[in-house]
This record gives sequence, structure tokens and C-alpha cells, in this order.
Amino acid sequence: MPSKRGREHHARQAHNPVAGLTSDVIAKRTKRHLDELERSNYAEHSAQVGEEDEEGKYTKGRARQLISEKRTFNIPGVKKKKSTMNVRTALLYRKNFAALLEESNLTAFPSTVPTYLTAQAPTSTYPSRLLCSVCGYWGHYKCRRCALPFCDLNCESVHAETRCERRVL
Amino acid sequence: MVVVAFDNGGSTIKAGILGHPTAVDPRIVVNAVIRSKGDKATYVGHELDKCKDYSSLNYRLPVEKGYVVDWDAQKAIWDGVLSDEVLNVNPTESTLLMTEPYFNLPKIQQVYDQFIFEEYEFQAHFRSSPASLIPHGSLFGLPPPECMIIVDSGFSFTHVVPVMEGKVVWSAVKRLDVGGKLLTNQLKELVSFRQWNMMEETFIMNHVKETCCFVSQDFKKDIEICRENVKTNSIVQEYVLPDLTKSKAGRVRQPDDIALDTDQVLTMGNERFAVPEIIFRPDDIGLEQCGLAQAISASISLLPHDLQGMFWANIGLIGGNTKLTGFRDRLLSELQSLAPFGCDVVLYQSSDPTLDAYHSAIALASLPTFTSSVAVTRAEYLEYGSLAMRRKCPDWQPAPPPLREREPTTRDRDHGKESGRDRAPSGKDKKQDGTSLKRQESKGKGKAKAEQVETAPEPSRRTRVRAINPVGASSSGKRG
Repeated sequence: MPSKRGREHHARQAHNPVAGLTSDVIAKRTKRHLDELERSNYAEHSAQVGEEDEEGKYTKGRARQLISEKRTFNIPGVKKKKSTMNVRTALLYRKNFAALLEESNLTAFPSTVPTYLTAQAPTSTYPSRLLCSVCGYWGHYKCRRCALPFCDLNCESVHAETRCERRVL
Repeated sequence: MVVVAFDNGGSTIKAGILGHPTAVDPRIVVNAVIRSKGDKATYVGHELDKCKDYSSLNYRLPVEKGYVVDWDAQKAIWDGVLSDEVLNVNPTESTLLMTEPYFNLPKIQQVYDQFIFEEYEFQAHFRSSPASLIPHGSLFGLPPPECMIIVDSGFSFTHVVPVMEGKVVWSAVKRLDVGGKLLTNQLKELVSFRQWNMMEETFIMNHVKETCCFVSQDFKKDIEICRENVKTNSIVQEYVLPDLTKSKAGRVRQPDDIALDTDQVLTMGNERFAVPEIIFRPDDIGLEQCGLAQAISASISLLPHDLQGMFWANIGLIGGNTKLTGFRDRLLSELQSLAPFGCDVVLYQSSDPTLDAYHSAIALASLPTFTSSVAVTRAEYLEYGSLAMRRKCPDWQPAPPPLREREPTTRDRDHGKESGRDRAPSGKDKKQDGTSLKRQESKGKGKAKAEQVETAPEPSRRTRVRAINPVGASSSGKRG
């Protein structure tokens, strides 16, 4: 995809010197950044806590051992018993929030019904202000290649050396 | 009957028992299963106190974006809190009061019910969002005002919740997807790029955020102060990272501290105020939502015009993020410029905003009628299923549960709502013979207030939220 964009934009290079940097590329990058900010751990794809034995074995699927079974506590009055079907299903089959949201089919409600989706705050009426991605001061200038803001030449050189190219998809 | 209150938050659970010292001073348990690479051990919730090595902790949070999705982890943590290591309470003989997030998804609500009644077998249960509980507490002083706005800024997100006569006005609730988690992660990124790599150090960076960060009253001025003299200005602070061999805690370097060469230091300059600024200007990081002040203004504008002045004058702040220094003053000044001419803006905040929801929950649980009529008993759940919970708890619901003979409204069918309803038909017939108390309670908007006078002598806020949910077509019309 980037190469196709590159060809399309070749003619317009005078105006947009960056090949492949359209606004949806930037939007995608921002979205990816925001998703990263929602992570619990930096290395998310590594084995999850509790699913991995201390020896390092990784078991998947139905035979997966539940942490709630592995680590039991002594609750007064509660005897060990077989959990109901509902509970066992909930314990074994974990869905992430996006899947649950999808399933709830909130978009099917008429617009008068308030839902999780409609409650989102409206977009800002003020223009956003750009801060230098290197030092945090006002970012009056934008990088030619990846459109991240920077404040002066020092920051520009730091940016170009460290995280410029990597940001472009 | 023992009553247990749980404020089940994204970052911590605040739990305690009514009538016990924990009612005033709850146990605060981190709501996560944490693995420490240093200790090579896994800690479930409260066990984190035993952890020696706070670096590179791997968190498994049952709550994702504010909602419980990982039930395995959540059950393990709840087991720990109920066990003899923390609260030592027998669920089969207790009532549970729990908080849940705003706009909790119906499927998730059902799973809560299943765990609480079928797994733990609590005798009775009541669940509601934190804002619904606040009118019972004393955040605004007593008696609480009729119209109030609760700003709940926690770990996962920030909500602006108008509460009128004890009921949440769902159509005017606004959500900002900025919470403590996002702020800590943003701080990690900034520091990792500019100084030491702290991407794995959630625990430490969280502490840095809580000690060093503040909300700037004038962003432009503060950013200039940090610019002129990067090393020495009135804002920059040095945070000494914890030394794991000697002491556990990290701290801010004081002027009279001896600077050791072996200290690893984080220089906190404009990060101190740029990070909390995200709550007031989410567009700083590209999140296309308005700031908190504008969200409050937008929320109030959706409320009845003649009451708006009352809402402006009763804004309460709860949740961990509101503890940031300068939060209240900054919000006040931004709101004053947005409020209509002649409207007073008054903010209320208690001495510990993280415990407000918990204290209000305890206040509700102390009501004499709590276990008998407010909470849903296990017997009711076993008979009517999740529907019993939906009737009595003021959670958000897309449409009120049908009372009687279920009229086939097209919406209900098409959107295949809560399957807990499939028990409804049998429940319904019994319902009609049921107590008049229940029937009167489940009436819809407008009539709610009149009926309450006849029912048990308790505040109107106890009945479910139905008021401003204009659910058009679902006309199980025979109300009354």
C-alpha cells in the first residue's frame, strides 16, 4: 500500500514532499499511539501473568489453568464445590472489551437512548496546540518526513536521529 | 447480617465491613495479579504487600477500559479479599454492596450477578455506579442537594455525571477517555525518551506521577519557566529512583539532601504539568475529545434549562486523579469562564477523593432497610434471574425490563437484549401476585415520585433510574 501511495503522490511532491504521508496515515499513527497508552504492560504480547507456570511452560486452550484455581484462599464458610456452568464459562473464555462492546450492539439503539458510545465527550472546539515531541516546549515546526512537531534545530536533529523514520508506516 | 461494601475500581478495590473498623478505614487492595520478575513470584491483589522488588512488575488487570473482562483474575482477587487474610467474611451469610462502572454492558452485568449469587452465594446484593451512591454520603454536606454533578476521574476514564433527585441522568453523562492509567503511560513514554527507560516500571512511575505531577494554572507561563533555564528553575524537581538494595521508596530530592553519586535521578521538568494537562486538553496527545471543563459544560447544557444554575453550583469531585495538586483550582477557573453569566460555580471535594464512593456506599448500607428491601436477595435472584437485579438496581439499562405480559416490542426482539430476560415470562405471572411494593417501584418515569410516598419510608433515590431515558417505543404501556 505505501508504494502505491508513493506512485500516486509522485506528481505532487512539490506540495507534499513526503511520499505516503496522508492524513489517514497520521490518524492511524495517532490511534496506534493512543492504544499503546491504554496498555497494562509494555510488552503486551509476552506471556500473561498467571497463565505461565513458574517453570515457564505456556499452556493454552481449554486445559489452561485458571489462576483462581491455582491460588486458592481460605474463605470462611465456603466449601470447595463445582461452579455453575455460567461461572465456568466466564472464567475460561475471556473476551476483551472491544469484543464485548461489539456484541452489545449498542449502535442498534435509536439515538435517543444514551449508551457507552453516545456518552463520549464531544470533540474540542479549540484548535489543538502542538508540543515539541522531543523536549515538550511549543512545537512550532513540523518534521518534513513524519509531521511530528519540534521546537528548534536542536530538537529537530535529535528527532531525526532517534525516532523519525520509525514513525512512518 | 454482615454487610460488605466493595468499591471495585480499575486500579484498587476499597473494601470493608459495616460496623467494623474497616467501615471507616477500608482495606485498599490493588486490583491486579502482579508478577515480579525480581522476586519470581506472582502476587494476587493484597499479596503485593509482601513484594520486595518493585521493579519491572508485570500487571494483569481484570479491568480493561473500566469494565471487568478478565473474570479469572477478578475472582482470584475477590477470593483474596474475602479470605481470612483480608476481610475474613463468609459470603453465604453476608450482603454485598458493590460498585460498577457507568454504562456497564448488560452482558457484563449478568456475569457479575452470576459470580455473586451462584459462585459466592451471597445472601443479598446491591450494585450501582459510584455517582448514584454519592447522594447518600456527605460530600456536599447534609442534606445533599437535589441537583448535583459528579466528576469521577479515576484510573480508567473520567465521567461527568449529573444526578438529579438521587438518580443519574444518563442522557447527559459524558465520558473522557483519560484516566490515571493513560497519564502514567504517557509519563513513562516521555521519561523513557528523554532520560531512563522506564517503560516496564509501572509501579515506580505511578509513584512519580503522584508525587511530582501537578496541574498547572497557567500552562503558557509554566512552559516558559521550564524553557528559560532547563536545569534550575522553580518547577524542575529531581526524583531519586528507589534503590532496591537499600530502601524501597523513591522520593523527591529536597534541598538539604546529600546527593550521592550512586543515585539514579529523574529530572522532572515540564513533564510535571504536561502530563496532567491531558485531562484538560486531551488534544495535546491527539485524542479528539474536549477537555474536562468543556465536557462539564456540554453535560449541563443537556439538562433542563431552569435547573442548570443549580447544577453549576453543586459540582463534586471524586476519584484518584482529583487528588493532583492544583486540579480543583484549575477546574474552577476554567469553569468560571464557561458558566453563564450570573451562575456561581462551586466545587466540592472531600479530604480523600478515592474513598468517597466507598464512604457513600457504607452510608447506604447503614440504612435499616438496606438488606430487607434495597438489596436483591438470593431467593429473588434464583427465581427471577438477572431480571431481579435489573429491577432494583439503578444501573444503566437500554430499556426498562418489561413488567407484565411481555408485549413483543420490535426493538426488544431485533436487538436481542439481555438473555437474562428469557426467564421473564415465568417471572411475570408470579410478579402480578407479588408484593405491591415491587410493582410500584418498577413504574416508569414521572409516576415514580408519587408512588414512593406510599412505599417504605425511605428516600426516593433508592428506586431505579428511569427518569430521563426517553426510550420511545417500548410501551409496555400498562403502567399503573
